Amino acid sequence: MTETVQAIPQAKPLRLSGSQPFTQQPGVYMILGERTNVAGSPKFAKLIKEGKYEEAVSVARQQVENGANVIDICMDEGMIDGVAAMTRYLQLLASEPEVAKVPFMVDSSKWEVIEAGLKCLQGKGIVNSISLKEGEDKFRQNARTVLKYGAAVVVMAFDEQGQAATYEEKIRICERAYRILVGEVGFPAEDIIFDPNVLTVATGMEEHNNYAVDFIEATRWIKAHLPHAKVSGGVSNISFSFRGNNKVREAMHSAFLYHAIVAGMDMGIVNAGMLEVYEEIEPRLKMLVEDVLLNRRPDATERLVEFGEALKGVGAEVAEKKTEEWRNGTVEERLSHALVKGIDSYIDQDAEEARVKLGRPLLVIEGPLMDGMSVVGDLFGAGKMFLPQVVKSARVMKKAVAHLTPYMEAEKAALAASGQAVKAQGKIVLATVKGDVHDIGKNIVGVVLACNNYEVIDLGVMVSAEKILERARLESASIIGLSGLITPSLDEMIHVARELERQHFKIPLLIGGATTSRAHTAIKIAPHYSAPVVHVTDASRAVPVTTSLLSDEGKDAFLAQHQAEYDGIRRNYAQPKQSMVPLTAARERHTPIDWREEDLATPEFFGVRVLDHFPLSVLREYIDWSPFFHTWGLRGIYPRILDDEMQGEQARQIFHDGNLLLDRIIRENLLIARGVYGFFSASAVGDDVQLYTDHTRSEMLPRLHFLRQQANREGKELCRSLADYVAPLYTGLCDSVGAFAVTTGIGLKSLCDAFRSEHDDYNAIMAEALADRLAEAFAECLHKRVRDQWGYGCAETFTPQDLISEKYRGIRPAPGYPACPDHTEKGTIWKLLNVETNTGMQLTESFAMWPGSSVSGLYFAHPKSRFFSLGKIDREQVEDYAGRKGMALLEAERWLSQNLNYDPA
Amino acid sequence: MTSHDTHPLLAILRQRIAIIDGAMGTTIRTYGMTEADMRGKRFSKSTKDLLNNGDLFSLTQPEMICDIHRRFLEAGADILETNTFGATGITQSEFFVDDPRETGGRKNPDFYQGILEDAFLNDLAWEINYESARQCRTWADRVGDATGRQRFVAGAIGPMTVSLSNSPDAEDAGFRVVTFDQVKEAYAHQIRALMAGGSDLLLVETIFDSLNAKAALVAVREVFDAEGVELPVMISAAVGRGGETLISAQTTEAFWNAVKHVRPLSVGLNCSLGPDLMYPFLSELSQKANVAVSCYPNAGLPNPLSETGFDLGPADMARYLGEFAGGGLINIAGGCCGNTPDHIAAIATALKDREPRSLDFSPAEMAA
Repeated sequence: MTETVQAIPQAKPLRLSGSQPFTQQPGVYMILGERTNVAGSPKFAKLIKEGKYEEAVSVARQQVENGANVIDICMDEGMIDGVAAMTRYLQLLASEPEVAKVPFMVDSSKWEVIEAGLKCLQGKGIVNSISLKEGEDKFRQNARTVLKYGAAVVVMAFDEQGQAATYEEKIRICERAYRILVGEVGFPAEDIIFDPNVLTVATGMEEHNNYAVDFIEATRWIKAHLPHAKVSGGVSNISFSFRGNNKVREAMHSAFLYHAIVAGMDMGIVNAGMLEVYEEIEPRLKMLVEDVLLNRRPDATERLVEFGEALKGVGAEVAEKKTEEWRNGTVEERLSHALVKGIDSYIDQDAEEARVKLGRPLLVIEGPLMDGMSVVGDLFGAGKMFLPQVVKSARVMKKAVAHLTPYMEAEKAALAASGQAVKAQGKIVLATVKGDVHDIGKNIVGVVLACNNYEVIDLGVMVSAEKILERARLESASIIGLSGLITPSLDEMIHVARELERQHFKIPLLIGGATTSRAHTAIKIAPHYSAPVVHVTDASRAVPVTTSLLSDEGKDAFLAQHQAEYDGIRRNYAQPKQSMVPLTAARERHTPIDWREEDLATPEFFGVRVLDHFPLSVLREYIDWSPFFHTWGLRGIYPRILDDEMQGEQARQIFHDGNLLLDRIIRENLLIARGVYGFFSASAVGDDVQLYTDHTRSEMLPRLHFLRQQANREGKELCRSLADYVAPLYTGLCDSVGAFAVTTGIGLKSLCDAFRSEHDDYNAIMAEALADRLAEAFAECLHKRVRDQWGYGCAETFTPQDLISEKYRGIRPAPGYPACPDHTEKGTIWKLLNVETNTGMQLTESFAMWPGSSVSGLYFAHPKSRFFSLGKIDREQVEDYAGRKGMALLEAERWLSQNLNYDPA
Repeated sequence: MTSHDTHPLLAILRQRIAIIDGAMGTTIRTYGMTEADMRGKRFSKSTKDLLNNGDLFSLTQPEMICDIHRRFLEAGADILETNTFGATGITQSEFFVDDPRETGGRKNPDFYQGILEDAFLNDLAWEINYESARQCRTWADRVGDATGRQRFVAGAIGPMTVSLSNSPDAEDAGFRVVTFDQVKEAYAHQIRALMAGGSDLLLVETIFDSLNAKAALVAVREVFDAEGVELPVMISAAVGRGGETLISAQTTEAFWNAVKHVRPLSVGLNCSLGPDLMYPFLSELSQKANVAVSCYPNAGLPNPLSETGFDLGPADMARYLGEFAGGGLINIAGGCCGNTPDHIAAIATALKDREPRSLDFSPAEMAA
């Protein structure tokens, strides 16, 4: 009966979504989780009937964790109000980010339940199901409704005559449904999922024996003849006659799926946690099962029944999930993990453990729980967590707080009994200010705060200052929170602050909402009110801020830090900005260099060279010891410091110990020096330097991007840029620059660990200090070699001391240092020199070098090149720079924050 | 086949990047209107402040609103948005009905059922939408005729002040203040009025809650079916740092999957955190969507300490949108909050000769 597969267009995959997209992958079977189906799971049915929705939500969560691609949700049960249950359950799932990311299948035989379900799906789900049972008109109408909501649809092989049992019936009905859907309704073919009815085999009725074969062959036909359509089925039906014999049933499911998938079945409703692997079915069982499924012999059923008797009760349970990794952490780590991931399964247990450990319930809230919420805030701020996850974290927090509450009540009762004052629970009045109607964000803040056990009094939107103050007074509020989304709200907030001051309020004022900012709060609102005024960036920060403000222990420290921060903002704002030379004028005031061929050095080679296991004994000669003493808190210049009256003795001691350790490091090769450097042909183009592989200039390399001084001090001094030291392209001269990256940090960690394991912190710090010195020495030493290879260095007669004082020609600036403060330029050095491959040195996200004790930078050869400090620059230059780098302005401002002569957003 | 397959706007989109206008609210604020100007005689007895109810200016200060429309058209906008971002009975209720929370009550579906049945609010919503569409129609045609360039009126459908995805109740994550059907009904009323007033297109925009948007899109379908008329639909989401709809946290591709069945004229991003963070998400949308892609971001974030009240000036916006055009990502460009006619003029000039994103989607792409 197998048909030859005709050439049909490549099937379009099924595309769905929850909060995340789902795209069906070719050849990968989709698992539709069935545990949230009241018909498939008595346990789930019981939870719904008893109204235990929270536990019911965790069933969905397990399905997703077990790998279900889509979860099937069905509330069809006589005792359940389907519309209400479907709506409530889906609305709860929408608040469960880990579940809401997957698409949902709304499963019901009642149309009103399906429509109720569709009204809860923000993504593209699947309707299960429609059919021709009630005729074409009803079928068309339902299909149009599904299309209107934007869902895929399961079409049961059913028509006015009833369920399709045989192959012929199945394909006839499916084809008819397909023509109507695609031809008349305009339903996307790839969104049609046929369910050609998985019917029970081995019932003892001869006419049932071919049911599995009929399904499999119908599947094959559909996939060959109905372009893009999908096939699904309820797999467990196949084995219904073996109820109570899980071993046989699982084998039947696996074998059936195996054959159906080969025929083209795309997906099925299965228990994601309970499927035997086809290859692992015991051979004899597999043969007997396949005899039944494939209808290979008339006595197949009897043989399987007989064999199956012996296996009864062996039922494979779903393997206990192994202890999750994160449960092994400390209780603080576990609480933090639970908050970040929104897992409440162990929260009571962990909260209790923390309470016992820390002694007081409040310390748990102000300690590990608040720390966890701070992590949530960091992740949200970085765009790594979304708002619903923040809310979910808060709800987990709420559970922990609920566990701790009775203990806090008991503490309070004890205090009261002993005649001491009892602090009331925090009360927070929230309002969207007058003139503004937006409060979805404020509502979220309210939820997050309520979860932290504060009493939240939400006055709603368009609330006048009088009403806010009146209510705050009436309720003896501990904090007032104002929200606003539109810019006029900012003035209203200032008005509220003034009123609070006028009426002698003393409670903190929180400011939040899309138009508000820390700067505006500090500069424009806070000065009007003498109590703390704090900007809360987003809902994720509400808990740490309020907890700090209401904490006996933490309040002072928080306020001190807050005050300093806001003072800083105000000072910065008030400060007269430095006078600036406009960018065009600054460029005209570049370093004047008369470009002559003979001043340009030409290197011995172009390209990159690697130095591995560079001898430490050589580097030792180049060490600049002064900073070594700075590490130990001794201020002075080597070698004079050794004879210093005050510090001399100590200096001599550490110098001695340092050299002892250095001897050992060199003798035993405890540190490895590795580096890479190179020369490149170069021309300045504006404030950039264009690099080429060599003077033939046949291949372009990346550009180096530099900044130019703009400070207007006396009116005519130079505005330098490192680009000034490279011959400009228009001169027609071929100049060159060098780049390098060196490390002496390889081996340092194990060396320090070894010292620390012997509790020898002194030598551990000493080793780090030495490694840092060696890295600098390496850069110095390599600079000498570079000068030699540029030619002009060969004539040098400097002492090591002269070298340390940098008396030689040329400079060695490093990104992140005053002449070129943007750390991201290291990225270009890494590319040019292929640093990571050549040395193993890496750049972190913040462009720090790993391992420590590493140095990287550029070499400039021109005799006029010299160090300078960039100083402040204006927005025009930052924009120009961001444009040259192809970097967003805000990002450039972040990297250059120390150099901005203006307040960025 | 939907009507937009042969729509004149589609012909424009194949040739160049079309320009959509800028921010109504920001521009209104430059006219220095007062509460009394907003109210006029008609709303003089209102108990709540109305100044920030910008949609209402279409009724009380039509000269100013039409002046703004004209300036955006003269700045080069092909598509004019009606001044109806908050013109549903539900959003208007915030300005006219006391908030039950002030007196210890709560907003819930019963409360909003009352709003939906409130004749004053229904009539007001109808009038704002109808009048604003007519005003836009008049000016789009007038400037269109004068310049020989056809202009289009997009009936603007905003996100509402309620969320279908979020519970404001700490005790119950399953609670919603309003139902899907209520939101849909309020939108349907708005859509009928926008169409009656002469809109060429419908624009479901600033989507931070995808379920609200879905209710709007279902309403669009039902109104089309009931009236036997179809207009092209534009869809535009407001996204956060991860490209997620701000409240319901649906990521870009997931969002496209959820609205693709509408077969919109365009899908895109607006508002959001400004243009600088948008590139990756526009790029994703541009790759996945087989319809036009639009982008009209905020002029950065509101910054009361800057001169314009927003981070980015006209030149900044022109540069960012120029980058998007350079990346071949967009067919429609303009500005949201913070963008005045000057911004739109700068954007229009910068994009004048830029290639639009190709609208010839290969079958392979469509299947992928």
